[in-house]
Amino acid sequence: MLKIPTRVLLVDDEKDFVEMLSLRLNESGEKVIAAHSGKECLEKLEKTDVDVVILDIKMPGMDGIETLKEIKKRFPLVEVIMLTGHGTTETAVEGMKLGAIDYLLKPADFNDLTTKLVAAGKRKDEQEERIRKAEERLLLRKSGNI
Amino acid sequence: MSNFQHTDKIRILLVDDEDEFRQTIAKRMEKRGIVPEQARNGEECLAILEKKPMDVVVLDVKMPGMNGIEVLYHIKERHPKTEVILLTGHATTEDGVEGIKSGAFDYLFKPVKLEHLLSKIKQAEEKIRREEERLKEAEFRATMEQQMIACERLASLGTLAAGVAHEINNPLAIMNESVGWMKLLLKKEELAEMPRKQDFELALNKIEKGIDRTKRITHQLLGYARKSDSVVSEVNLRELVDEAVQLVNVEAKNKDIEIIREMNSSIGTIWSDPSQLRQVLINLLTNAIHATGPGGRITIIFDGTSDVVSLTVKDTGIGIPKENLERIFEPFFSTKPPGEGTGLGLFVTRGIVEKIGISMEVESQVGKGSSFCIKLPKNLEIK
Repeated sequence: MLKIPTRVLLVDDEKDFVEMLSLRLNESGEKVIAAHSGKECLEKLEKTDVDVVILDIKMPGMDGIETLKEIKKRFPLVEVIMLTGHGTTETAVEGMKLGAIDYLLKPADFNDLTTKLVAAGKRKDEQEERIRKAEERLLLRKSGNI
Repeated sequence: MSNFQHTDKIRILLVDDEDEFRQTIAKRMEKRGIVPEQARNGEECLAILEKKPMDVVVLDVKMPGMNGIEVLYHIKERHPKTEVILLTGHATTEDGVEGIKSGAFDYLFKPVKLEHLLSKIKQAEEKIRREEERLKEAEFRATMEQQMIACERLASLGTLAAGVAHEINNPLAIMNESVGWMKLLLKKEELAEMPRKQDFELALNKIEKGIDRTKRITHQLLGYARKSDSVVSEVNLRELVDEAVQLVNVEAKNKDIEIIREMNSSIGTIWSDPSQLRQVLINLLTNAIHATGPGGRITIIFDGTSDVVSLTVKDTGIGIPKENLERIFEPFFSTKPPGEGTGLGLFVTRGIVEKIGISMEVESQVGKGSSFCIKLPKNLEIK
């Protein structure tokens, strides 16, 4: 089966972490770009199509929850997985209530991460499929009225 | 006639060079049940005090050799807790006044009426007792403050531990990814013939295990510092009560206290946090056992409606006086002697009830017993 790479945006202020995880994910067949702050994350989302954002909760400047809110506001279809080495599971759960699909506690098990990544990519695909179908129906109705 | 609280305990020393006077007083005291020591002069008095501490010294001011005031100075210097009653003549009132200024409890005129002397001695004894109580209170307060500091230190240690754990998780994550990356590379075709590949794999596995262990430690530390996470699961009430009773059973049996349960059979399980609920039960049972005397009884009652379950722990113990009913939930409030118990049981219990319960009420009658009733939701939802 041909693996379609998930387009991942990895957001964490820990540069070394971002570098190593990117290498691993790229090697596993995903397409990874990186950002080191909430602000950079939003900038990259403006310019590139992304399926899943892996987002660290505690960052200087704009923190994870703030960034999450912005992502859900401006790019509602993008899925977000939260990564937390800081904070309690409460913040992560709060994030999920705000729309994140899942969370992981650092240091994360790579298999867990890829499983959740696949699930997130899948959810996005399904939502986009539903949107496509809805647009089709809309088009049909319009052309039918002519 | 004066009543002495510790008639057999109060230690009196009579100091007077007039033997007849002194011995008469002593004999009359003995008739009342007090056996005083006697000294003929200042030196003897001080010598006796060195070997046998006294509560009250009755001291004649006018004596050959060391006079009363001198002796008073020495007594106050070496035995500050000993109270001194001076006996002065009418002509030497100034001595009496000077004596009080120098630390004597009071002075009486000679010839002294025995009743006056005994009454004065009693007053001195009361003063001693009050001083002792004040000292004990100060010590108790010091212990409590120490406990509070220790508790605060534990709390800040918990916060520190959590902070450290947080900080460690990040470099740990980096190491984790790096090791994973290396393991991945080693599986690649281009490295198939790599010399000493197994050595690398071995080392990497060790690193991975080390990371895993460290991760468990930091997660455990974070879990310890977690303040309000409750774990909700199905709780079998009968089993929970059994477990809690088992834990306190030995203490109850030792005091010959009976523990009985009244469980409304329609209530089998509820959704709540079992470990915190167990903690509450244990706290209440322990308190009940401590309050109840031998032959007493503790009753655990489970009852409820469709949404709310009530848990009551009733005892036939000494009860709680009305003025304490509010205070028992204060942290470190305890009527136990200092050192016994932390005074935190009900404070912690109330904290738990605020998190996973609806309410806690207490009813009590001094001499009859107390009853603590907690209301819990049947299906706990964590806010």
